[in-house]
Amino acid sequence: MSTVLAELSDVSKSYAGIPVLKGVDFTVRAGEIHALLGGNGAGKSTLMKILSGLVQASGGAVRLGGEPLSPATPAQAQAMGLYLVPQEAHIFPNQSVLQNICIGMPKAAGAYRQRVEELIAQLGVSLSPDTKAATLEIADRQIVEIMRGLLREAKVLILDEPTSALTPHEVSTLFGHMRALRAAGHGLVFISHKLHELRAVSDRITVLRDGYVVLGEDMAASADHAILAAMSPGVTALDARAGNREITGAPVLELEGLGGEGFVDISLSLRAGEILGLTGVVGAGRTELAETLVGLRPRSGGRVTLAGRAFTASGPREAVRAGLVHLSEDRQQYGLFLEAPLFWNTSSFVFGGLPFLLRPGREKTRFDEYREMLGIKCAGPEQPAGSLSGGNQQKVLMAKCLAAEPKVLILDEPTRGVDVGARNDIYRIIESLAERGTAVLLISSDFDEVVRLSDRIAVMAGGHLAGELAGGAATDDVAELAFEAGEAAHA
Amino acid sequence: MKRLLMRWEVVLLLILVAELALFGAINPRFLRPSSLLFGTSDFVQVGIVAVPLTLVIIAGGIDVSFGSTVGLAAITFGIANFFGLPLPLALAVGFGTGALAGCLNATIIRLTRLQPLVVTLGSLYMFAGAATVLSGVVGANGYEGIGGFPEAFTGLGYARILGLPMPLFVFLCFAALLLILLHLTRFGRLVFQIGQNESAARHSGMPVFRVQLITYVLTGLAAALAGVLLSAYFGSARVDLGSATLLPAITAAVLGGASIYGGQGSVLGTIIATFIIGYLQQGLQMSGVPSQVSSALSGALLVLVVALRHGTALLRDFVPVRPRRA
Amino acid sequence: MLDRIARDRVATLLVVTIAVFLLVGAVAPGFLSARTATSVWSSGLVLMLVALGIFPVILTRNIDVSGGSILGLSAVTLGLMLNAGHPLWFSLGGALGAGMLAGAANGALVAGLGVPSIVATLGTLGLFRGVMLIATNGEWIEELPEALKALGAKSIGGLSVMGIVTALVICLVWLFLRSRRGRWVMVVGDNREAARHLGLPVKRVVFLSFVWGGAMYALAGITFAAQIGFVPNQAGSGIELRAIAALVLGGVSLLGGVGTVAGTVIGVIFFTAIDTSLVFLKIPAYWNDLIGGAMLLIVLLIDGRLRIALEARDRAARYRRSSHKTDAAEDQGGAA
Repeated sequence: MSTVLAELSDVSKSYAGIPVLKGVDFTVRAGEIHALLGGNGAGKSTLMKILSGLVQASGGAVRLGGEPLSPATPAQAQAMGLYLVPQEAHIFPNQSVLQNICIGMPKAAGAYRQRVEELIAQLGVSLSPDTKAATLEIADRQIVEIMRGLLREAKVLILDEPTSALTPHEVSTLFGHMRALRAAGHGLVFISHKLHELRAVSDRITVLRDGYVVLGEDMAASADHAILAAMSPGVTALDARAGNREITGAPVLELEGLGGEGFVDISLSLRAGEILGLTGVVGAGRTELAETLVGLRPRSGGRVTLAGRAFTASGPREAVRAGLVHLSEDRQQYGLFLEAPLFWNTSSFVFGGLPFLLRPGREKTRFDEYREMLGIKCAGPEQPAGSLSGGNQQKVLMAKCLAAEPKVLILDEPTRGVDVGARNDIYRIIESLAERGTAVLLISSDFDEVVRLSDRIAVMAGGHLAGELAGGAATDDVAELAFEAGEAAHA
Repeated sequence: MKRLLMRWEVVLLLILVAELALFGAINPRFLRPSSLLFGTSDFVQVGIVAVPLTLVIIAGGIDVSFGSTVGLAAITFGIANFFGLPLPLALAVGFGTGALAGCLNATIIRLTRLQPLVVTLGSLYMFAGAATVLSGVVGANGYEGIGGFPEAFTGLGYARILGLPMPLFVFLCFAALLLILLHLTRFGRLVFQIGQNESAARHSGMPVFRVQLITYVLTGLAAALAGVLLSAYFGSARVDLGSATLLPAITAAVLGGASIYGGQGSVLGTIIATFIIGYLQQGLQMSGVPSQVSSALSGALLVLVVALRHGTALLRDFVPVRPRRA
Repeated sequence: MLDRIARDRVATLLVVTIAVFLLVGAVAPGFLSARTATSVWSSGLVLMLVALGIFPVILTRNIDVSGGSILGLSAVTLGLMLNAGHPLWFSLGGALGAGMLAGAANGALVAGLGVPSIVATLGTLGLFRGVMLIATNGEWIEELPEALKALGAKSIGGLSVMGIVTALVICLVWLFLRSRRGRWVMVVGDNREAARHLGLPVKRVVFLSFVWGGAMYALAGITFAAQIGFVPNQAGSGIELRAIAALVLGGVSLLGGVGTVAGTVIGVIFFTAIDTSLVFLKIPAYWNDLIGGAMLLIVLLIDGRLRIALEARDRAARYRRSSHKTDAAEDQGGAA
């Protein structure tokens, strides 16, 4: 058995009295890629933060290369040969690539220029050390993070969801780098939600749930269904698709040749009661399209017709009034008021309809109806939204949309970071909305989800409409269209 | 019941009672109803600006320019009176100045998207400068200010309404109005939600700029109200009427529970905090502490309050919690 | 054009400053002289030192508005020690110590307790001014010894001792910001999370930037006392705002991480040139606050709009680039 590079034994951690990790053992060996999997709140990020010295464990031991990590600081962990590549690359936008890589090293940046150039050649990327980091694309930022780790001669590299913002082509390049590092004797921890990606490169897998290790074995020995069952027992699969529906409603939203930031010439039409899935790979321009429709981004051409009338929104305010409601993919920043009571959240689209002198009693009754209808798990209407789980937060946002009674509802990644159980509930809510005549534009990168819900599926790639498929199309067909068009756009 | 007792306002009330008891023990004259009641005329202007300032802070902004707006509005009011405008019109000029000052602040903050502190610091100096230049125009010198108000007006400074001194009565009415506005109306809800998450508010279609504008205009109007009241109280309008309200008013809002990051705060808390700060200054003076010390105390108190609030938050994170094993 | 103004801030500002000089020179004869140049430098010293003090604080994405009060506090410390008969070097040390102590108090509040720097320094603004008034009983300190005044008087090559010290400080800051640790100050403000992630001592950097600020305000206080020979109650009041305005004008971003020493220096010279011109144009002194405040607001307004316009352009350019890339890819696909 190869050397153990990093070891966590019986590690526990609590935040404000709430235990997040309850006695976890975890090792990283030389020359392996160790997959780490777990639902939201399972404790993955906390575990990795403890390993990299960003967070102190409440109990247990952290060892790097056989030595205890002390003091538990990022600087010490890095000095002992560990580097965490965070999910979103931490970039200094106003500094050069070279400075970005070398900040925090014992000498000034100039001393490392040659080494950095070697690393760039070794990884086979086209980057200049003198480029200002603000201009880098997401994939290049991630490369900068990996080079930071390599310059520090890290034996252990932790990659926290490195693929979530990459195109398929970039993902396969990244996997190439990872295999090369493994061959050179590094130990890698690979965190991801996507099982097929984990399977493609990993040697071992550890699954966390509720702060415990529930599965830990060789990747090859563990079947997909066993991993899924370990992550969320009780829910092994999503509900199946209901079958094709007859859509008879009139068209409510029509786009003709719409262009804007990151997309051009998009023509779509959406009928009342219809669910139109809009999918594609990262960078396809879907989110930009949605934000342009509600006036958050400038429009560069084309026409939008909403309920038979030409429509241009200068901001969400007008859009909401016209019956066009948009739920952003970033629900904590653009959707919820985390400090506010739940019933404030559910009335926040319809605040204009509230009486000037508020009657909170009525709003609370209204909230209790939604709570019943959508199965929101909470202590009561006064509870702050920030204390709910991700799935319940998303349900609160769905209630907020329901209250607005929109003609058209744009949902951007409505189940991102939501566990399987709540995901089923949200699917049912979306379907019942459509039943009631709302036109739903469902933006999602999850092809299964799009196929499961949509009456029609539109695929975008590189800012263009790549094609349209009928509802009930095979997931593989959707994926193929999205990837091929995506590759062409990024070539 | 427990939730009621745990409220910050209750803690503030207890502090106020303790403070009064302490100063009463040092100097029994302090607790005489007449001195408690008429002493308020020396500090209610702090509360008058602190209450709308609380709204500004909750909505995610801050305004320090009111320190000069008080003087500027008093000067324009005085000049209007000086040139023979009837009292109601002169008052309109004063309040118009205050509203305009608030508009200017909100607009520049909106246009530049810079920190409100920096912008309003700039207007703090510009308004003070404008007041100085204006009072120079009518040839008034800095110490005497612009006088010549009708007796009916200066008499107001010492009038009594329902047994209360006029300034205190005005303050309580104004504060009650804003208390209702903030805690019971749709507008108040918007103020809180915009401060809690401005981007979510914008995405939900809330009129973010209009609400912020109104909070700044309210502060400008309150500053004008304070300026007019002080002119009546002192019998003349001076440039520096408001400079002593700047730090105490911010302290009152922060002590009253307003979070400088927005989204939290209470009008009632600010009202109680105003009395705590006001009686503290008076109590110290009656106990023979020189006035320089009590002005330094305003700054010290602000530092202490925020340090305590942040310090306790830090402490909470450090208290070790035993992991519960299920 | 827009691009040049924003990207080459220092050069633009230099051109504007020269234009102001020429314009005033045309209206008021005798303005354009070597004497004006040295007088601009010496009357700008105090502002320059305060600006150099706030500069690193703003780079770390904090702000310090207590500079004027610390200036007054250290000037008073200096005056009281001198008038109590202490030797000059000892009193200078005392003033510097008082400034650094005050700066350390700010730093402890912000870096240690996590109080927002806006509130913390607004509080100490009042606190330090109060402490100063208590120390002097509210009276001015007069009859400072000649030895101190000599520091502010012209000596070598038309420059005063403090003028030379200031020039040295400028070089020092310039050199420091190019060093490994100097870079830490810039990156802490550029992306605090990233700095923490890379193991930089973020809190220490913030703390020390406030202490540096305190030291510079103290130097400014010494210069102030040396130049005018007495310490009034209001010494330094409001100067922090003029310094912030000069920094913003010189291209230092209030959002942290961006700014140059050259920009700071030219920003201060611009503001001082305007002041000197006002004197030459015989505008009464009571206009100063109005003009100063209005100028700060105008600078903020122009700077803010410029930044927003540039961001929008950069964004549009980025999207144009990515859609060009797509078109090119399609053309290739079509050809194949």
